[in-house]
Amino acid sequence: MTGAAIDVLLGVAVVAQLVSALGLVVMRTAADRLHYTSAAFTVGPFCVLAAVLLHDGMTTSGYDTIATVGLMFLAGPIVVHATARAGRRLELGHTRPRPDERVP
Amino acid sequence: MNEFLLAGTVMLAGFVPVGVVCLRGGPIDALAALELAGALATTILLCLAEGFGRPSYFDVPVVCAVVTWVSGLVFARFLGRHI
Repeated sequence: MTGAAIDVLLGVAVVAQLVSALGLVVMRTAADRLHYTSAAFTVGPFCVLAAVLLHDGMTTSGYDTIATVGLMFLAGPIVVHATARAGRRLELGHTRPRPDERVP
Repeated sequence: MNEFLLAGTVMLAGFVPVGVVCLRGGPIDALAALELAGALATTILLCLAEGFGRPSYFDVPVVCAVVTWVSGLVFARFLGRHI
């Protein structure tokens, strides 16, 4: 049972990472592409974390994996946000909304 | 070859579309691709470390995650200010 769960989690992780990579090619704008970058920081790594914890339990490997995935989960949105701001500055010269943009 | 090594090996295919965007996209597109490549590499290294069964190998994905974060911020800062 545990082996099947590990196989399923790893399969989901592989599919998630490959779909993220393919989405990067399919999307046309940088803002759309950044959504797939965010997905690659969260979905796949969490599935691998669950698989490692199921396989090894709370061992040194498990703690290292928690640290790695936790770091990716926290740092990913920061990097993506900084990239989006840089793209906006490249496009407009500033990060303020345009007059025709509706900002909630 | 166990399931973790197989998963890590299959995930390597994700570097092909990422490389295409890096080569053909604009600066921000390439930076998004670079960040995705870092996340992909970290996930692959986690799978390989578990697949090889050596706890010391888990230090590599930790370092990769930190380097991906710092490099993404540095490139975003550079692109936002100097281009």
